[in-house]
Amino acid sequence: MLQGSTSAGPSPTASGHLATGDAVIRVQHLTKHYGPLAAVDGISFEVGRGEVFGLLGPNGAGKTTTVEMLEGIREADGGELTVLGLDARRDRQRIKARIGVQLQTVSLYPHLTVRELIELFGTFFPRHLPVGDLIKALDLEEKREAQTRTLSGGQRQRLSVALALVNDPELVFLDEPTTGLDPAARRSLWDLVKGLQGEGKSILLTTHYMDEAEILCDRLAIMDHGHILDLGTVDELVGRRFHERAVRFDRVDGLDDAQMAAFPGVSHMAHEDGLVLLYTADVPATIGAVLAASEALGAQPNDLTVRRATLEDVFLDLTGRALRD
Amino acid sequence: MNALLRLTEANIKSFVRDRAALFWTIAFPVMFVVLFGTLFGGSNTPDYRLGWVDLDGTPAAQQLHDAFASTKVLSLKPQTGESAALDSMHGGQLDAVVVVPKGYGGAVAAARSATGDQAAAPGSVALVLYTDPSQSTTAGAVSQIVNGVATGVNQALAGRPPVLTVTGKALQGSSGELDGASYFVPSILAMALMQLGVFAAIPLVQDREKLILKRLGATPLPRWTLVGSNVLMRLLIALAQTALILGIGIVALGVEVTGSWPLIIGIVLLGAVTFIALGYVIASFARTEEAANGITQVVQVPMMFLSGIFFPIALMPSWMKGIATILPLTYLGDALRQTMVGGSPFVPLAVGLAILAGWLVVCLAISARFFRWQ
Repeated sequence: MLQGSTSAGPSPTASGHLATGDAVIRVQHLTKHYGPLAAVDGISFEVGRGEVFGLLGPNGAGKTTTVEMLEGIREADGGELTVLGLDARRDRQRIKARIGVQLQTVSLYPHLTVRELIELFGTFFPRHLPVGDLIKALDLEEKREAQTRTLSGGQRQRLSVALALVNDPELVFLDEPTTGLDPAARRSLWDLVKGLQGEGKSILLTTHYMDEAEILCDRLAIMDHGHILDLGTVDELVGRRFHERAVRFDRVDGLDDAQMAAFPGVSHMAHEDGLVLLYTADVPATIGAVLAASEALGAQPNDLTVRRATLEDVFLDLTGRALRD
Repeated sequence: MNALLRLTEANIKSFVRDRAALFWTIAFPVMFVVLFGTLFGGSNTPDYRLGWVDLDGTPAAQQLHDAFASTKVLSLKPQTGESAALDSMHGGQLDAVVVVPKGYGGAVAAARSATGDQAAAPGSVALVLYTDPSQSTTAGAVSQIVNGVATGVNQALAGRPPVLTVTGKALQGSSGELDGASYFVPSILAMALMQLGVFAAIPLVQDREKLILKRLGATPLPRWTLVGSNVLMRLLIALAQTALILGIGIVALGVEVTGSWPLIIGIVLLGAVTFIALGYVIASFARTEEAANGITQVVQVPMMFLSGIFFPIALMPSWMKGIATILPLTYLGDALRQTMVGGSPFVPLAVGLAILAGWLVVCLAISARFFRWQ
């Protein structure tokens, strides 16, 4: 489970069971293989009712594969999958009627108008929300009679969310909902997700944006290479391994890792794109040691900064590499 | 059911609003029809070979012969007897046959002597005209000329009622080839249906690439509804193409449709479904849109030229004939020519339809086994 981790930090929780009993998703030992590659390798987690749960990880981590198995559009190889109390492998049709699905960058029927497309999707479900309400809620009123091929990226993404909500679902899956959007469009989508949670809906979203995960998710699972590396709230994930702050600076030639790891206050260290990261409980002592050691080499540590640990540090700590777009 | 109809409606709207799709399925075959209409329809100097069977042998009959000859557009070929003449027509040496009945001279003489005397009006005699309805322009022209000459004779005799009438008789299935329009209108309809079906592969692969099939798969919409709406849309377009191509053929090119309409529509639908199934086979093996485009061309271009669409299979060299024997479009074109304009069969209709149905079953089986939704 901790494959790839470079840290001596505390172990993640083994299963991710909720304290409370009411789960809308329950996944146990889920696996999916593509030939010899294990895209999803025995993961387990639960999502509680009313919760926004995030799967965070780089492209290829297995997030989308996991979500698609839950949505009933991809076969699982092994494990147990329960969605809304139903077996996700046997009761697919009943589950599909009660969930909302938004896929990565889909452009459906480019020649239909926004209204026509939402109406069409409504007919696929036993019951559906009034089209006008959805168009209003998703702020698409001025594009109501526009063919969907004319929409901007943000409008298209909002339409895609509108289609996911057409059946008034209890559980909504959002797969990379803000990828490719400008900052303003991302923010408006985040507001929307919070609004959905306010209506009592449960949400499972995947993302590779740290800020998105921090802002939206009540709890999240960090995925890489088909494994869940750790799981919990942002505070839990950070607090579990970083009581310290990170002292960060450009690598200084001649200053070796063993030497830096022995600086006062340093608990462990990492490298990130030519930067050195020293996690320390005693910032002044560590910085003093860095400056002294650099001066002895006739050098100076450039771009020296100190910050609190973030999800980025958690990911780096777990995988030994940075999570980049 | 509602979802099926709404999805079909959405497909048709998308289709109609997509100008490129509209061009290829509607304007393109119409262009072909119009192009071939100008090539074969009009300007060639008519010279119809008319078999002349004189059962009367009087000078009056000879005068009638000369009247026909003076029209300049008919080459009269005297025949020894009616059955010999019809044999020649079957063999393609004659375009039409006129039989002058025994007693013609007598009737003409009686009419002359009875001039002005209405009470003693003589009996009329009937010229028998054999034409081949599968060569509709020829048949139409010859019968117009023959009727015209007969009217002239009647006016010369000033007889009331007319002495000379013309009884038209159809001689089906002559081995002579169909005339231009009658041949290529059903052929181009077959080609349009083939393209409509085979090109179904491209939007399918596009939809798969753009994850549309996957997105629809995440709704409770059953897959048969999705397939059903696609097929239904294409069948409706097939009927629209049929109406348009045959409409132009009948109205502008004078093609005479002799077969039964329910049978023709049945064959159109069977052909469309078979080629749509072939489109699904292509979509089963093409992973990208580019691949789908390529495979579609590899399938449709040879079929267009080797299935007797642009020139009859009978005129092909034997190696080409061998290929034509395999291709489903050969049988759709053949079936449509047989039923619509009485074209000479390449294979009997039942055999052709059975082969088409065989293609359909094979394509369905392959699609069911290999088609992927994502």
